[in-house]
Amino acid sequence: MKFRCERDVLDHAFSIARRAVAGRGGTLQVLSGLHLTVEGNRLTVVGSDMDLTVRVTAEVGGDVDGSVVLSAQLAAEIVRALDSGQVEVSVTDDGANLVSGRSDFSLRVMSAEDYPKFEVPGGESVTLDAGSVADALEQVTLAASMDDARQVLTGVLMAAEADGLRLVATDSYRLAVRDLPGTSVLGRDQTVLVPSRALQMVGKILGDADELTIRLGERDAVFEVGDVQVETRLIEGEFPNYGGLIPDDHPNALVVDRVALQEAVRRVRILAQEATPVRLAMSSDGLELVAITQDVGQARETVDAEYTGEDLTVAFNPQFLLDGLEVSPGDEVRLETSEASRPAVLRSIGDEQFLYLLMPVRVS
Amino acid sequence: MRVVVARCTVDYDGRLTAHLPEAIRLLMVKADGCVAVHADGGAYKPLNWMNAPNTLTVVESDEDGVEAVWTVRSPKGEVLAITVHEVLAELDHEMGVDPGLQKDGVEAHLQELLAADPTTIADGLRLVRREFPTDIGPVDLLCRDADGEAVAVEVKRRGEIDGVEQLTRYLDFLNRDPMLRPVRGIFVAQEIRPQARVLAEDRDIGWVEVDYDELRGIESDALRLF
Repeated sequence: MKFRCERDVLDHAFSIARRAVAGRGGTLQVLSGLHLTVEGNRLTVVGSDMDLTVRVTAEVGGDVDGSVVLSAQLAAEIVRALDSGQVEVSVTDDGANLVSGRSDFSLRVMSAEDYPKFEVPGGESVTLDAGSVADALEQVTLAASMDDARQVLTGVLMAAEADGLRLVATDSYRLAVRDLPGTSVLGRDQTVLVPSRALQMVGKILGDADELTIRLGERDAVFEVGDVQVETRLIEGEFPNYGGLIPDDHPNALVVDRVALQEAVRRVRILAQEATPVRLAMSSDGLELVAITQDVGQARETVDAEYTGEDLTVAFNPQFLLDGLEVSPGDEVRLETSEASRPAVLRSIGDEQFLYLLMPVRVS
Repeated sequence: MRVVVARCTVDYDGRLTAHLPEAIRLLMVKADGCVAVHADGGAYKPLNWMNAPNTLTVVESDEDGVEAVWTVRSPKGEVLAITVHEVLAELDHEMGVDPGLQKDGVEAHLQELLAADPTTIADGLRLVRREFPTDIGPVDLLCRDADGEAVAVEVKRRGEIDGVEQLTRYLDFLNRDPMLRPVRGIFVAQEIRPQARVLAEDRDIGWVEVDYDELRGIESDALRLF
């Protein structure tokens, strides 16, 4: 195998593909590598941990067709360290050579024959506007759990709704729901559970892309953005029935400037140490934030807000509250509450497509 | 449980195709129908596996160098073909009903509580993943600090020197990963012995003693949606 290309082309392909590489804890040694294939002037770089596979294609100057597996860590580090300019990669029986300018690296290689042969899942593809999907992914993936002990909570539910697609994620402390009206990816009433890790990766590569193509199979999903393809195994299991958690009735509503609340929470949380929450005292006078850490001190700050309902104090994990405020669109948000121990709902004023449900923390 | 050490070749065809060339491996056939192929390395993840329900058929072979071919099929259409060239050891044993995992309850619960709120270890700490895998076993918690730097946390009920040694080994592996490094370590326990503190400080590893009862109190305040 032999090809030439610009260093930036190779750096782009290696750095994206290696995000899926099983460099940690995998028992199949070959999966710690990147699988490179050259056919004509087309280079394909694959990284995988069997659950998640990333495939990047690039146009190169191909001299000799072939395949090889290179250590993902070394190959990516070497290419990143090279100066801009042309890189020539050649593979012989003795190993691989990466040559650029005055730099010459020789690497041992792993057998391409031992690398798993991934079948690209079939199924109908649907092309979506990348911008709206990127926003939606940012809004919901942060609510997914990172605790593998409850695997279904590490996924994002994609559900077909009457008027489009719905994305839902929860770690049991908060729940994010984003609707994408007019977006049709699934069959009627169909739901799939996609690992949030894969969707976070899709969100990162969406960048300035215009389109995202999705293909959903029975057990796999494929996301294509330009020259990058992310394939993931779907999570099996039943997602919690979240519908009943969203309160129909919300006697109390606080309308507040989103950024003003965000900044106030950031300041007050400095004294919400040792896992103490930030309290929101809501009354007709407005909103007061309070954080108290025993033997350390306390912080208070008032925020201009409109409040309707009974006087109520609700405490939240400040990070979870900030997460919700961060991804809520628009200038103003509405926090709907009923009791100090019941879930609160955060919505953007004038936007019905995103909802963030947040469980309070009990305080004495 | 049927345990076979055999020289074998393995081919999987299903969600993807994978081939394991001829080598000595451990084959496990469990009473519930699960089949796993292990190499002589790695703590928990088989090279290849098929979750139950499966059907296993074993066909003796007349072919030279092949004793038998095991074919494992799942209802989803996955097929695991194990070509057994030579059986080196074999054991069948009735294991009965498993009573379940009996971990050190306090240590496991401590880890769970700290994962739910890593700021009890250090301000600004956010969980990346529990049981973060490395080549030598999983680190209890991988977190990011307020500056975004990676922090490996090892949790023990009693903090002794061997726990610091264990965390040192994890840090050595984690710091080889350019996506993570620099990774610093924090050793967490209910009580940390003076020698372990000295060793941790000597290796630039932080240590934190946590109050289990207090943590349990915190847990009860964090309400869940379900």
